[in-house]
Amino acid sequence: MTGTYFEDVVVDNIQVTPAITVTETHVALYLGMTREAPLGSGVVPDVLPLCLVIGLGWRVKDPPLVVLAFVGLDWRIVRELRVGDTVHSRSRILSKRPMRDGGLVVDERTVIDQHGEVVQQGKFTFLVAKRHKEVSA
Amino acid sequence: MADARRYFDEIELGEEYESPGRTVTEADIVMFAGLSGDYNVLHTDAEFMKQSIFGERIAHGLLCLAIQSGLFSRATAPYATLAFGGLRWKFKVPVKIGDTIRLKAKVTGKKDLSKPDRGLITVQRTVLNQRDEVVQQGETDLIVEKRP
Repeated sequence: MTGTYFEDVVVDNIQVTPAITVTETHVALYLGMTREAPLGSGVVPDVLPLCLVIGLGWRVKDPPLVVLAFVGLDWRIVRELRVGDTVHSRSRILSKRPMRDGGLVVDERTVIDQHGEVVQQGKFTFLVAKRHKEVSA
Repeated sequence: MADARRYFDEIELGEEYESPGRTVTEADIVMFAGLSGDYNVLHTDAEFMKQSIFGERIAHGLLCLAIQSGLFSRATAPYATLAFGGLRWKFKVPVKIGDTIRLKAKVTGKKDLSKPDRGLITVQRTVLNQRDEVVQQGETDLIVEKRP
């Protein structure tokens, strides 16, 4: 499988994704799926940008991390987002730590709007596969 | 109409809530892949996943995080929330198609903020599956209005 394995993860590597405009459709789909209470016209639910960021993270030049598991998340909402805003994300590898099966990679993600303002920011911790070893259960 | 929202003053430390259950379906996973753009094979390639340690596709961690956010609003009357501050979260056990998850929540923090009209409520949340295994757990910070 193509992808970036644990051994190839470079600390401090920065990647910037393309941007996506958050629409009423995103909000309607999200609210329908989750049954979160709507917050009023034009308001984007706070977890939605986080969901979009994980998808944007795939749309970069480097092969994606070979993620075995999403382990943890530490996330801060900096400002409210409105329908019609356009966001992209920037990721930076903060650290990597080998484990028996794979290794832990901490990836700092920042969500940035069309004005260059930080909207949300936090750390994703992933368990990433090692290259030359089949992972056993 | 009376304001059914609960203000900072009315929310007590130690309050506990439990939501109804919700079965996570293949449709949820497909929809979430479409919405988020996360088409990782973990969630979308049934054949590949047969060979994996999981044996089948698993739900996106963030899908279940989003679902529990909705379950919270079915577990208690809405807070007079002004903003969501952030969250600290662990994904512990994968959720598979057909699993039924529910939320247990407890108010573990309540403190004043520099602005006098609002306070910070911390809610510890535990997402359980039908076998009572903890699948996700974490804390969320909510900025809640004080009664005017």
